Amino acid sequence: MDVPSTSTALPPHNVDESATSKSISIHGWKITTVSTSISNAAELDSLQAEVDLTLPEMTFGNNSVTLAHAASGWTYAFDARGALGEVCNKELSPGDGGVKVGYAEDWAKTRTDPDSTSPVSAMIVAKPYDWTYTTMYAGHASKSKPKWQAADPEDPSQSIPMSTLTRPDPILYYAATQLFEDELHDNGTSTYMVRVRVMPTCFFLLARFSLRVDNVLFRQHDTRIFHEFSSDLLIRETAGWEVPYATIRARLPNPDDRAPLTDTQWVAGILNEMPTRVTQNNRSGASTGWRGLMRRIEIMRLDHDK
Amino acid sequence: MNNLDRQIEQLKRCEILPEPEVRLLCLKARELLIEEGNVVYVDSPATICGDIHGQFFDLLELFKVGGWCPETKYIFMGDFVDRGFYSVETFLLLLAFKVRYPDRITLIRGNHESRQITQVYGFYDECTRKYGSASVWRYCCDVFDYLALGAIVDGRVFCVHGGLSPTIQYLDAIRAIDRKMEVPHDGGMCDLLWSDPDEIVGWGMSPRGAGFLFGSDVVRTFCHSNDLDLIARAHQLAMEGYKLMFDRRIVTVWSAPNYCYRCGNVASILDLDEDLRQEYKVFHHAPPDPRSVPAKRPPAEYFL
Repeated sequence: MDVPSTSTALPPHNVDESATSKSISIHGWKITTVSTSISNAAELDSLQAEVDLTLPEMTFGNNSVTLAHAASGWTYAFDARGALGEVCNKELSPGDGGVKVGYAEDWAKTRTDPDSTSPVSAMIVAKPYDWTYTTMYAGHASKSKPKWQAADPEDPSQSIPMSTLTRPDPILYYAATQLFEDELHDNGTSTYMVRVRVMPTCFFLLARFSLRVDNVLFRQHDTRIFHEFSSDLLIRETAGWEVPYATIRARLPNPDDRAPLTDTQWVAGILNEMPTRVTQNNRSGASTGWRGLMRRIEIMRLDHDK
Repeated sequence: MNNLDRQIEQLKRCEILPEPEVRLLCLKARELLIEEGNVVYVDSPATICGDIHGQFFDLLELFKVGGWCPETKYIFMGDFVDRGFYSVETFLLLLAFKVRYPDRITLIRGNHESRQITQVYGFYDECTRKYGSASVWRYCCDVFDYLALGAIVDGRVFCVHGGLSPTIQYLDAIRAIDRKMEVPHDGGMCDLLWSDPDEIVGWGMSPRGAGFLFGSDVVRTFCHSNDLDLIARAHQLAMEGYKLMFDRRIVTVWSAPNYCYRCGNVASILDLDEDLRQEYKVFHHAPPDPRSVPAKRPPAEYFL
């Protein structure tokens, strides 16, 4: 096997891999990704009791990504409990961006409430919650300090350096895992994926909530975390997008082939190409009033004495 | 060996049939199905299966566990197509069995046996990829319109894809439906294919803005009014392959192991013997076949 010429410059690191878990130890960090089956009935019952929500059809309650910094004892994790804990589990309020399925009106207009003669629109929704599982979850820390603080927009060292990430550095570790997925009763897809990669000088994590409601809208919420091993700084960027379904559909290369609409990476690419005044503006988006339409950069300094 | 037996052997090897043969098979199937009632009477013993979703090699596992048709009498509760990679082979094999052994297999319509749903969730795409045109998809959709809405075993076990409907108190009300059309967005036919049991009292509307949920009292009343021991339905993933609810009056049977090739769940089929005793036969997904997963895109390691 060819040894890449850069191998002499690689920092000491150790990758451990089992059937369900993959981790790397490097520069005092241990990054672990667990990727296994959906939760069983007992696990689902306990999670359901905790988050008080009808759970997604595919809930990967044992999957996670953990970033652990030994010197400070600080760990940061992404898991399904955290992601679903931030889904609205009661009647939705303005800002929650609640929507109905595309044919809701058609469905309701011919029906009456089975328990009375009033129209079904007056019928009480069983156990209201956000059935789209929209979450702005950005991971959670093991302890309350240090805290994330707003980055200084004037200081370029306080934003994620795209030049570093687009450099073809060797990838020492790559892992991806899914926290949940729901097909919204065949009205679209809601899913939360986490990916992480480690290069010789830094690591980068992307956690993405993606939502498609057929004939209604696309919505996405991203969390990116970047750390350069030579610094004590962590940078976290969070952002949300939303556009009407028809806007993305109009971008299909072949209008008869709707398969790309089910590809969250293709959709993310389109959202990224579009101007933010269309995709991230509260008065545009898909007119749901969802509070997630914004972009925020925060930083955190690691504490070296436990 | 007659033509139909040859086709069955071919399909068992996961080989598609030429388009003219599919057309004829679908025409024959429609002639048979048009004679079936909305609710098909079946005598025990019988084996009840849930969603398959185009997971052909897992369907072969199902037959290994349950026995082949016609030795075992089957009721499939819909969702034959979409999501898996072999919806064409899966549906055609079941359909060929139906035409060859009409009294040994009952096919019930699921919400995926619909033009609208299959255009989004893969079956349309698969047909055009494998045949170069949408004709086979059209032939199959025409068959979907004739599939039964339910089955009843010995008058005691009611099988349906989704669940109950507030407009249907008695099984006779299902018999009155004119089913031969695309799945509508409204009415009892839609509910039978879409609704779900839930831990609520009475009827509820789904927070999605369409679709009904029904509680244990609704199931108890329906079973009592129709003299039923059990309602068997599919439609929802169950990690353990089946899920009994409401004092064992309703069960969800799920027959797609490792759903979407990544959920890691087991699947099951429900075997009813001559005395309607229930045995849930759990099975695992097929070992990965070189053909079973099309080449994946390389991982996007340099994601941004």
